Amino acid sequence: MRGAQSIPYKEMPLRIIWSVAFLTVVGLIVLNSISQQYQDGKILDTPFTKQFLFLFPAALIAYIIIFIPRYTIHKYTYAMYVLGIIFVLLPFTGNPHAGTYRWLDFGLPFSIQPSEFAKVFTTLALARYLSDHTLQMKHFTSIIIPIGLALLPTLIVMNQPDLGTAIVMMIPILPMLYWSGARPFYLFLVLAPIFSMVTAFHTTAFTLWALILGVVIITSRPNLVWSLFLFFGNIFLGLLSPYAWNSLTLYQQNRILTFINPEKDPLGAAYQIIQSKTAIGSGGILGKGWGEGTQTHLKFLPVQDSDFILSVIGEEMGFMMISTVLIVIGYLIMQILKRSFLSKDRFSSLALIGIAAILLAHVFVNTAMTVGLIPVKGLPFPFISAGGSFLIATYIMVGLVLKLSVNYAD
Amino acid sequence: MMLKADNIASSRQYYFAVGITWVLITVLILRFFQIQILGYAQYSQKANTNRIRKVTTSAPRGLILDRNGQILVDNLPTYILKAVPGELSQKGKTFGLISDIIGLDSNTVLKNYKKYYRGRFIQTRLAKDLTFHQVSKLEENRLNLEGIYYQQFPERYFPSDVKASHILGYVKEVDRSIRESSTNSNEYELGDIIGWTGLEKRYEHYLRGQRGVQFYQVDAFGREVGYVADFLPRDPEPGQNIITTIDIDIQKKLEYLMEKRRGVIIVGIPDTGEILGAVSAPDYSPDLFTGMILEDDWNSVLYHPEKPLVNRFSQGLYPPGSIVKMITGAVMLDNPDFDPHFEQKCEGVYQFGDRIFACWYQNGHGSVNLTSAILNSCDIYFYKNIHYYKLDKLAQYFRLFGFGQPTGVDIVGELIGTVPTTSYMNNRYGRFGWSKGALLNFCIGQGEILVTPMQVFNYVNLLATRGQTFKPHFVNVDQILETIAPTFNKSTWDRLIFDMGQVITHKNGTGKSALPLIPGMKVYGKTGTAENPHGEDHAWFVGWMNYNEKKYSIVVLLENAGSGGGVAAPVAREVFTDIVKVNQLVAK
Repeated sequence: MRGAQSIPYKEMPLRIIWSVAFLTVVGLIVLNSISQQYQDGKILDTPFTKQFLFLFPAALIAYIIIFIPRYTIHKYTYAMYVLGIIFVLLPFTGNPHAGTYRWLDFGLPFSIQPSEFAKVFTTLALARYLSDHTLQMKHFTSIIIPIGLALLPTLIVMNQPDLGTAIVMMIPILPMLYWSGARPFYLFLVLAPIFSMVTAFHTTAFTLWALILGVVIITSRPNLVWSLFLFFGNIFLGLLSPYAWNSLTLYQQNRILTFINPEKDPLGAAYQIIQSKTAIGSGGILGKGWGEGTQTHLKFLPVQDSDFILSVIGEEMGFMMISTVLIVIGYLIMQILKRSFLSKDRFSSLALIGIAAILLAHVFVNTAMTVGLIPVKGLPFPFISAGGSFLIATYIMVGLVLKLSVNYAD
Repeated sequence: MMLKADNIASSRQYYFAVGITWVLITVLILRFFQIQILGYAQYSQKANTNRIRKVTTSAPRGLILDRNGQILVDNLPTYILKAVPGELSQKGKTFGLISDIIGLDSNTVLKNYKKYYRGRFIQTRLAKDLTFHQVSKLEENRLNLEGIYYQQFPERYFPSDVKASHILGYVKEVDRSIRESSTNSNEYELGDIIGWTGLEKRYEHYLRGQRGVQFYQVDAFGREVGYVADFLPRDPEPGQNIITTIDIDIQKKLEYLMEKRRGVIIVGIPDTGEILGAVSAPDYSPDLFTGMILEDDWNSVLYHPEKPLVNRFSQGLYPPGSIVKMITGAVMLDNPDFDPHFEQKCEGVYQFGDRIFACWYQNGHGSVNLTSAILNSCDIYFYKNIHYYKLDKLAQYFRLFGFGQPTGVDIVGELIGTVPTTSYMNNRYGRFGWSKGALLNFCIGQGEILVTPMQVFNYVNLLATRGQTFKPHFVNVDQILETIAPTFNKSTWDRLIFDMGQVITHKNGTGKSALPLIPGMKVYGKTGTAENPHGEDHAWFVGWMNYNEKKYSIVVLLENAGSGGGVAAPVAREVFTDIVKVNQLVAK
């Protein structure tokens, strides 16, 4: 066994470290503003204090990861993956927490959200599988196993139910398959049935989709039987889905609709979006100033310390800070992509692009939700939203990025 | 080593990934530009003048009525006093003024304020149960009470002069622990009212209304200035009323009879299983649980030696004594070799194995057959006949009459008691730890057998209707099921019912004093004097009366009061008399 090596600090990607530091500090400043509302005693209960205290174990874990040899990480990925699956199943054995099974209660003053960690472990397991089996990637069937690998924890998390995290868990599979050389056409085939079923409810959309499907199949030229099967299989699936839908009871349909689009409940989600947009819009270019946001402090803004924290930034610090935050996190993701591209081994390269995809998914889903571009999904913004499990999981990813992006032998 | 697999990502793939990242980030930034720069004027106006606050209002619960539509449980509009902490300029002075006006200790006001505080701009409760009078006095001082608001709140109120506390049950305010333990946390909000015991709990889904939601516009200081046009308010929907089977007049009489006594009376209609009145004494005043309970009041009820909170009619377990002798009689009558006219000798004592079993009448009843054994409640007759049967045979007949299982009465938390079987006895005493003497005790309702008065009520209904009754109940909204019932020959039923008539009318009958002096009324019954480890015997009287082709059944249990014939039967007579009086009043 080789022991821990000395760390080549000079090789450390400083741009990544500075970006992370900047975003973390912005998060603390915003949380401190929100925490003013908790003025009567109990300082330990404010989101700022909690986040600040979680920062130490988070940074420590990230630091420790730098010392773990690369092959050790590679060796234990599957074990961690299985552990992650067990971990997300555990909440189902206990009592539901506000009607969901997302949280694990160990009797500590805080609960743990296992899906945050399972998300990282799943990505690592995918990176290992794809780097170990990369030669067969040209076959369509060989992308089935990695998809199954990601699908298993995703389905469990979906049942917790936590659609936001489930989406984030599935997202890395596409760029990672693309990265490892799977034909884009196969990725298209994976997504095609979903489009076929969804567009089937709208005639124009379905016609348009059928055209696209035809063009893509013709241009990528599989043999005749195969392409006919793909085309008509999809069309058939699409035509079938309205019947499948109608066979559900009204109650089941409504359950699915509110699951996909919570704004169906106008007193709940629509109200949240209006308040969020009002907070952001009234911030203007420079914002109302730290601690001065009326939407925030009059509590019009819901879940302001996590899901809607960007709305607080928008209200108090304005467009300037919002665009800075978005550009910095875009820059951070780009740096990770660059390290992934430059990486000398395939496992590191795939793990890095997976992590980049997770971060981008969080950023896009969370931000698009606060500005009303997509339905409300409870998903936090990396480094800024309050939440112990999420912060630690994010810093584990940072540790992995720092570790895997430095190309020295081990 | 797989790690040595080379990275094969091409620069084309890299630029494509970077491109997608920046496209998504740019879309987001453009959206912020649209909202914050282009929409600034619109949204900042909205933020200043058009703030929306969501306020929920609680819905009044449904009323609980008696069988004739008289109100048992009503709602009383009371007021809650609230403060918005951010608007209180001089907290101490304001609280002092409030406590002067409403006559509440200013420390209590401050304590509530701290207890319910959730944020600077969130309304915090200071006091509840204010009357309209108190609120109007506060309104006179409006100018000195900046940041103080009040809200109407419907509370439970008991207008009739019956208590019926164990039937009606009480409600509770939903707190954090209740909310977290409910399956759907959105169903109740903090401060909502939930049925906690009795009918309030059992019929919660009828009684609870749907709370209303209103969206107010509030100004920059958080003060409400009007409704919001975009969001339509939803008015609170009151809960549904439920009509019970209780008759207020009968219930009142029962409560009067049980004052200063301990025990249970249940009166009902055997043909339907409806309960006209039920008392578990001692009881408590139902408004004990509304409003602010003083700690002393609460403790005095909770730690009272006679346990007024226990619902004796479905949670009290008692030895039944001789009132179950008709079951033993039925076991024997079902045996074709048994002759009910055959006489046994009662000499006051009976030796079985090495044990001596005594009759309650120590001089002995002389020659007795089944009828005379039931009417004078001779124990020896049953001892001498039952030892031909197995313990489990007797247990099976007890179960046919509903013992050892829930009656299904619509009050949550019913106990099932004990019907001893061979396996029960083996488990409890070991295979050789008990003898057939247990059977002798069991056949006269002593020993291990334990029953609730509600099971006894069901048993009486079965006898009165020859097994054609329904489960005992207080409310008719849900479908009422027929109860488990034994099927006997007509001759068996005839014999049992005839003997129960003899208990009342025969010159030696133990239940003579249950018969009122009302021409045309027939009474059937059985007394019981149950020995128990808690002192004096429990007195039982069970039976029914037939008057104007109507049947009314009754169970009387007086804890540690003496003999059934001497104490419980006269109570039944008073109830029978009263039922006739009440019904004639209604007939007019």
